[in-house]
Amino acid sequence: MTTTTVSTPGRRPMQFAGGWEVGLLVMMALLYIAGAFLNPRFFGSTDALQALLRDSARYGVMAVGMTFVIANKDLDLSVGSTFGLVGVVFAYVFDPAHFDMGVMPAIIACFALGTLIGLINGTLVTILGVPAFIATLTMLFIGRGFVLGLTGGQSILYPIKARDFTWFFQLGETNALGFNNQIVIALVVVAVGAVILAKTRWGYETFATGGNEQAAIYAGIPTRWVRVRAYLFSSWCATIAGLMAVAQDKGTSPQTGLMAELIVIASVIIGGASILGGRGRVIGSYLGALLVFLINKVLREGWPVVRTVEINGQEVQVQAVFTLPAGAVPAFIGILLIIAVLIEPYIIRRRIPARIVAWLKGRPPPVVADAGGVAIVGAQTKGAMASDMAYNAKGFGKFLARRDALAIILAALLWLVGLILRPDYWWYLPNSFALLLNYTELALIAVGLTYVIAAGDIDLSVGAVLALAGSAAAYSLKVLGLDPVSAMLVGLGVGLAAGAVNGFLAVVLNLPAFIATLGMFYIARGVASWLVSGQQLTGWDESYNLIGRKIDDILAYLDIPNPTGFIGAITDVMSIQTVWMILVAVIAGTVLGLMPYGQRIYATGGNRRAADYAGINTKWIRFTALLFCALCAAMAGLINIAYFRSFNPVAGQFRELDGIAAVIIGGGSIFGGYGTVIGALAGAAVITLIRALLQLNVEGFTMPQHWVNVFVGGILIVAVLVDIWVRQNNALGLLRARFRRSSSPTPETVNV
Amino acid sequence: MSDLAHGTPLIEMKGITKSFGAVNALIDVDLVLYPGEILGLVGDNSAGKSTLMKILTGAYHRDSGQVLVDGKPTNFRSPHESRDAGIEMIYQDFALCGNMDVGQNIFLGRWPRRGPFVDRRRMYRDADEVLQRLKVDVNSVYQRVESLSGGRQQSVAIARAISFEPRVVILDEPTANLSVMATERLLETMLELKKHNVAQIIISHRLQDIFAVGDRVMVLKRGENVGDRFIAHTTEQEVLQVIVSGTHDTALTADQALAEAAAVT
Repeated sequence: MTTTTVSTPGRRPMQFAGGWEVGLLVMMALLYIAGAFLNPRFFGSTDALQALLRDSARYGVMAVGMTFVIANKDLDLSVGSTFGLVGVVFAYVFDPAHFDMGVMPAIIACFALGTLIGLINGTLVTILGVPAFIATLTMLFIGRGFVLGLTGGQSILYPIKARDFTWFFQLGETNALGFNNQIVIALVVVAVGAVILAKTRWGYETFATGGNEQAAIYAGIPTRWVRVRAYLFSSWCATIAGLMAVAQDKGTSPQTGLMAELIVIASVIIGGASILGGRGRVIGSYLGALLVFLINKVLREGWPVVRTVEINGQEVQVQAVFTLPAGAVPAFIGILLIIAVLIEPYIIRRRIPARIVAWLKGRPPPVVADAGGVAIVGAQTKGAMASDMAYNAKGFGKFLARRDALAIILAALLWLVGLILRPDYWWYLPNSFALLLNYTELALIAVGLTYVIAAGDIDLSVGAVLALAGSAAAYSLKVLGLDPVSAMLVGLGVGLAAGAVNGFLAVVLNLPAFIATLGMFYIARGVASWLVSGQQLTGWDESYNLIGRKIDDILAYLDIPNPTGFIGAITDVMSIQTVWMILVAVIAGTVLGLMPYGQRIYATGGNRRAADYAGINTKWIRFTALLFCALCAAMAGLINIAYFRSFNPVAGQFRELDGIAAVIIGGGSIFGGYGTVIGALAGAAVITLIRALLQLNVEGFTMPQHWVNVFVGGILIVAVLVDIWVRQNNALGLLRARFRRSSSPTPETVNV
Repeated sequence: MSDLAHGTPLIEMKGITKSFGAVNALIDVDLVLYPGEILGLVGDNSAGKSTLMKILTGAYHRDSGQVLVDGKPTNFRSPHESRDAGIEMIYQDFALCGNMDVGQNIFLGRWPRRGPFVDRRRMYRDADEVLQRLKVDVNSVYQRVESLSGGRQQSVAIARAISFEPRVVILDEPTANLSVMATERLLETMLELKKHNVAQIIISHRLQDIFAVGDRVMVLKRGENVGDRFIAHTTEQEVLQVIVSGTHDTALTADQALAEAAAVT
């Protein structure tokens, strides 16, 4: 609070680097020494340092662009798929088997792709107002779908043709000076990015936008362009990184860039940027990338151990390498991301280092900035027009004005479309049964997500928690040999534990729910495949699988003769899981719609501060909603492995996409406060029918799964846009009003 | 209006001091409020008006000083405790849930229940009753709050406050976002409340509103009390003068100022 009265302002603050970066370097040196100690064969050599610098170069480049995005208080989850898609586009243009063009057209095509993705991200987030995490997560899934769809899951390699274009492919190789050219590229990009962010108006505008967008707008900063620009930087950096990978590999594989977004975001946050915006340094991000990659390497390379093996009665010491199984690395990096995100609010904002120094020196602790008491935020008035219409509507209009009307009508229409396309198949009862099975899993997830979304949070980890619960139950059944009931309890317990971690991070530690559950997204899936060592687990007691069977099958298992007639028809199509799902949905719907707990959820999601003032324990409400959501996902996981009689590590993939889309189509709002169980069930029906229709074999053509995922991603974006622009801002009504005004000469009186 | 000044004060704050780090937000501030009185609280930005009110409701904790309600010392730890003592605050942004309807908002957090379910019939009936009593113009208890205009949202916030049957209502910048018409209606509502013997404190920058309905006006400046006046015996000019050039040392209470004025004439 003291101000210097001297005319010179003193030493100017550092812009490129600071104490944080020094700390990162020390940390890295320590880790490297630890790595060298654990695995001297690998880390002891200079090759290792070379390899580390080379492999981290691509992630360092992506971290540069991501720093701009995060400093703007945005997020770009799509870099990993852009990185992969660049390789595929390059291959399509360059590969002799496809278009067979030169390197330049391929590079131009890649940059065009990067620009397109950046513009789509930027437009969705700024002009169309879609939350950054949901827009870019969908872009990530769509991009991944394109990668798999275009490559058909196969690698594309062109080493022979690459020999004709050494000037480009040399970029991925070691140069005359003895180190890899990619390191040079990374350093150039870092230098350019650091200067732009720290020294130019563009950089200052970025910090202003991230710190307080409203203030930046008042100051005349074009914040939309600033944010679009950052998304463009991020996509271009991902494009450059993709081209670096192309130059090194002379080809591409569908796995390229898988989970790159996790490493890149973790790098930027560890590099000192704040997920709450307004902070970040490019050099710190690059060092962060090196550190994350070093941890990645240490985890992946493993360390040598001496195992004692008994051969022919003799104990023989065998040299071996202990490596972590498949899923462990993403799980650890997910944990790292969560820890890194916590550093800023809990260590830097509370000035812990300065406090420790003051305590050591016996001085009074430094003043901590006031946490803000009761902040005044604008009245939450969204959707004014849409609600007004709902209030004034009559008769059938009353139904149309319901937020879940769209989902109910769509579900009915899609059913009819299926009937017209394939009447033979659609009327066939086992088909309905198969549809209902897909529906059960999604409906359970959507019911859980409704609670979380209505309470104003989000859970991106539902698909991963589904896999985790399934994996835990399968592991208990197969490896531990537990009985089915205990295995189910283990699965549910593990799912609840994941939900509790989500709740703890989001509610107690106050992380934004999307980042807490994004961490869990990687951690849960990582642990799930870690448990089963990345293998499919199968072959356990059939009695467990009964929860995934039809009632008929259960009667047969219990040696009870099948009933006939009407009851027989029902037992023939109904399965335990459907009954279970209906039970959960009825209870959840009653609680949400009719009980005070449900009202508390809506109040919390509508205006958390108002709910707090009204004496509602919003922390408890949000925590229990996240817990319930994880429980629903865990139930879906248990049913999944019972139905397939096995656990597959890819179980529940893309289910977060389906689930969120179902809730939003069913009348939920991504901003919280809305969503009903009936709407979510109808929304889940819409998604299930779309998936079924797209995979319907019409005259010998079936759409591959990857393209279906791309399509569902598109639907999620459209659903969120409809929610924001039609339900909340009444864009249609405004258009109609404008049309009417221009056609009628007398202006309408405005009702004050 | 000086007749109000006799009898037990409803609220008495004595020697309130509060600092945030190195910033002294309030220094030795006194405040009294009598039943049925409308007190205007004015002063520049950062004069400490909102801080003083948050200390009264328990949202902030004072560093020193006393808060007496009905002459009994109190120590509110949160706004819920002051609510039990009959003190209600209406926030500048109304603190309502836009996604819920008028009835649900009036009973926010304490929805009446029958068995495990929300008793919707009773909730809407009681909400309607409160609205009738206040004579505010909200069409229907079934309307979503986000579809109401700012003035009507405020009516809902006031109706919600009234439904707790408070003895003191604090309004934070109530006219800041209102149209002229809505301001008129608000002032009528305040007089209606006064008839029910509810004491009110208005924090406002608009002196004309305070002069329209207020009984007394109190001026804060840089965390200090620089005097108060009876509306009936002062002018906007004088109050502005106190805001601009008043100091803690030259501060007069309303009674002192009245006595002084009587001595001069």
